[in-house]
Amino acid sequence: MGLLYTCLKYLVVSLWSIFVIAPFLWAISTSFKDFQSVTNGATYIPWVDFEPTLEGWRALWKSPAKGGVDIVEPFFNSIFVTCAGSLISILLGTLAAYALSRFTFKAGFIRNSDITFFFISQRIMPPVVLAIPFFIMLGKFALLDTLLGLIVVYIVLLMPIAVWIMVDFFNKVPREIDETALIDGCNPYQAFYKVVLPNSIPGIIVAGMFCLIFGWTDFFFSFILTFTEVQLLPVAIVALNSSITPWWSLSAAALVSVAPLIAVAFVVERYLSKGNLSGALK
Amino acid sequence: MAKIELQNIAHSYNPQAADKAYALNPFNMTWVDGGRYAILGPSGCGKTTMLNIMSGIVQPSEGKLLFNDVDVTKLSTSERNIAQVFQFPVIYGTMSVEQNLAFPLVCRNFEKAVIVAKVQEVAGALSLEGLLKKSASKLTADQKQLISLGRGLVRDDVAAVLMDEPLTVIDPDLKFRLRRQLKEINQKYRSTLIYVTHDQNEAMTFAENIIVMDAGSIVQVGSPSELFERPKTTFVGYFIGAPAMNFFECKLEGSHNVSFGGASIITETDLSKTGEATLKLGIRSEYIRIVETAGINTIKAQVQRVEDLGTHKLVSAIFDNQNVKIKVKRDQEVPLDSVSLEFPARHCCVYEKEQLI
Amino acid sequence: MSLIASNLCLKADTEYHLNDVCFEMSKGEIYTIIGRTLAGKTTLLKTIAGLIAPDSGTLNLDGSDFGRIPVWKREVAMVYQQFINYPHLSVYENVAFPLKQRGILKTEIHNRVMKSLLQVGLEGFEERKIQALSGGQQQRVALARSLVKEANIVLLDEPLVNLDYKLREQLREEFRNIFTAKASEDAILIYSSTDPVEAMQLGGQILVMDEGRILQQGNAKAVYENPSSAKVSQITNDPAMNLFEGTVAEGKIILSPQIQFDLPRHCQELPPEKYNFGLRAAAITLDEGGFPFTIELSEISGSETFLHLKHEHVKVVGLLDSVQNFNMGETVMARFDTTHLYAFATDGTLKSSPYSGMK
Repeated sequence: MGLLYTCLKYLVVSLWSIFVIAPFLWAISTSFKDFQSVTNGATYIPWVDFEPTLEGWRALWKSPAKGGVDIVEPFFNSIFVTCAGSLISILLGTLAAYALSRFTFKAGFIRNSDITFFFISQRIMPPVVLAIPFFIMLGKFALLDTLLGLIVVYIVLLMPIAVWIMVDFFNKVPREIDETALIDGCNPYQAFYKVVLPNSIPGIIVAGMFCLIFGWTDFFFSFILTFTEVQLLPVAIVALNSSITPWWSLSAAALVSVAPLIAVAFVVERYLSKGNLSGALK
Repeated sequence: MAKIELQNIAHSYNPQAADKAYALNPFNMTWVDGGRYAILGPSGCGKTTMLNIMSGIVQPSEGKLLFNDVDVTKLSTSERNIAQVFQFPVIYGTMSVEQNLAFPLVCRNFEKAVIVAKVQEVAGALSLEGLLKKSASKLTADQKQLISLGRGLVRDDVAAVLMDEPLTVIDPDLKFRLRRQLKEINQKYRSTLIYVTHDQNEAMTFAENIIVMDAGSIVQVGSPSELFERPKTTFVGYFIGAPAMNFFECKLEGSHNVSFGGASIITETDLSKTGEATLKLGIRSEYIRIVETAGINTIKAQVQRVEDLGTHKLVSAIFDNQNVKIKVKRDQEVPLDSVSLEFPARHCCVYEKEQLI
Repeated sequence: MSLIASNLCLKADTEYHLNDVCFEMSKGEIYTIIGRTLAGKTTLLKTIAGLIAPDSGTLNLDGSDFGRIPVWKREVAMVYQQFINYPHLSVYENVAFPLKQRGILKTEIHNRVMKSLLQVGLEGFEERKIQALSGGQQQRVALARSLVKEANIVLLDEPLVNLDYKLREQLREEFRNIFTAKASEDAILIYSSTDPVEAMQLGGQILVMDEGRILQQGNAKAVYENPSSAKVSQITNDPAMNLFEGTVAEGKIILSPQIQFDLPRHCQELPPEKYNFGLRAAAITLDEGGFPFTIELSEISGSETFLHLKHEHVKVVGLLDSVQNFNMGETVMARFDTTHLYAFATDGTLKSSPYSGMK
């Protein structure tokens, strides 16, 4: 019974791991292939099945004129838009969340929880519903196909996440800490940035990670709201899928697009596991 | 309804380490069927670990646990027939009181008639009959705590009721009601009650036997009056009683005598086998008497402060650079002056290296 | 030189948190606000601190309107019952925080912080992280931070209630000396508590609070001896004072057909009526000449035994001087020492007290 159960457990976990890891392995191996090794039937093991080449990777920063795919500009566009959108969302979201957590708002039947819900409700609707109004509004302000326009849209999309996470986090920070800061001579703004904020870093990191992930992986809005001037990485990668798809470069580009998230996760994980953040507040 | 034995039980949260630090040092302990026990000690003394070992939340790293001579060390909590009450009441807020009490039986697929009868019986014992149809979330804290307890009691075969500071959230005037009901339950069902607390007063009022713990070890097991009258160590003397026992550094003087600050105190303890020259004399502040004239077993102390505590007065005095506290009746006048204090011989305890002789 | 509150009111929905609270506190004194949980103690302290604005009423310190000053400019310090410190700062930085906030010179900050830490017994802990401290130590840090400011008003909201029994006892004694020293520096010290013994032990003045109202104010001894109402007698005694209904008729007090006793001297002039009589546990003892009572519960506490007794509708708690064991349900004879009897009118006001006679 015990042994069988253990075996079964490992079997399920192994199957799941294969399911998760296989696409990665496939993308990695494809990124080192050339036209021959992709089109002539399935090949798996480098140097045995096919001769690995760096052509797919080199193409990433070669211009299309020279037979490359050039995703350098979309890559940095994506980084800029995601970071700017996330930063502003965190900044505004944290302030909004603090107000929602600490002060009581009344407007007719509307209370704090209704306001919090209003923020989140932005994310309840399917993106398609939001896309058309965004398109029209950005058009009116001449922000279509610009980085600024994308940042504005990302703030609308990411701030609810920040507000939601931070309200929850601030509610767990004892109100008495702010009160003590006030008694100790801080005005409300000082109490916020000298006392509450330093104790909320774990929450901000979590909120920041979610914003970065959602911003970075967005395809739909950047696809709809940009045309020729500005291109973000996810759109650029999908655009490679033309009549003659360079599977090797596409795989390499896909791996490049995952890399920043892995780096962020790695750094945050290191930071959190140092124990200087978790457990700061009970 | 079971005798519980802990044989060579010890627990370390890190048993693989070379110099494993025990949260609970090896010990043996038997809990008599139907007894009312309190485990008392400061935070971090291992009392909750001991309770968790009995309930099965913690697997002891060493030793065996027997219920009625059956080894249950490896059994899970649900297989041990234990009722537990925690610091905060655990109730199913969406259910009525009746449903709450019936829940453990419903889960075990008992027949309806059996369930109804059993719930009625337990509700009667806990004086919850009038509330059966009420929603559990609408009750007061002590009633909720009774339901937590009642859910444990509806099962026929409860070996023991384990409680971890169950009165913390209860208002002082309701505490009495709950304590009384616990004692009634104990008499009626003869179930073993084990109660963990840091509050010596609660332990004294509740238990027949108190297990005093400190730093992962059992220091003394005894009835409330034993612990009060003859604390085995100076720690027990300090921990039991409010205020703590008075202790004085003193010198061995004769077969029954000790001296300090020029005063000689006769005790009922045989000190002839004591090798140590420096000892400690312990006496409860309740037993020190303020007398008119100096005589046998008296010291002349300087009164520093008299506190009016209502029914009592607490007198703080100083003698030979050592503090002494005396608890006297409210009516007694105490001058802020030098007074004679008598130490009745039969209430004097002598300690050698912090251990009672 | 005093803090005067007049007619402070604070209402939430239909419930009063503060109900017409008036008091006058003078510098150099310790005040204990005693009341059950949710009596409004914390609300009152926070109102004095300026964290809560009352719906109406004023606070006046030394002749100026204190209520209009924002919290961060009031000269107050507060210690909470939860252990509240700044978790991201070290012990030293925690205590130095209020001083840095005022832009005081570094050397002076250092001197004052070290002095405060010494006072609360935390010298050598300067560099520790707050999370690495025990509950008692965390509360010492909070106290040090409240002392270092040298504020005029120090508010202590049940600072010991969340500590272990013995630690509470130890700190109560240690802190009292600190408080007395602090009060003597011309500060007003306000301490809230649910525990009557704690209030008595601190000495000083007592304010009895219930349902947002101040029921009685006076020095500890006066409140103990002459509780102004039956409610006060319940709040300021542990165990609560025994209350039982009785009728005065023909020079006797009649509790039930079986339990009757002569009017004690200080109650002679009570007009024949129904009263609520009050008697502390210590005044009920076992005596063959007493009345038969059933023991509901007997509890040993130190060298004493509490007996919960019942006779028909009369339920009382008695206190014996020795440790004795009884069975539940046993019948004993209990005597009421009527020289310590209080008489309250049916509406609760004190009519006669053993310490000051008729009211």
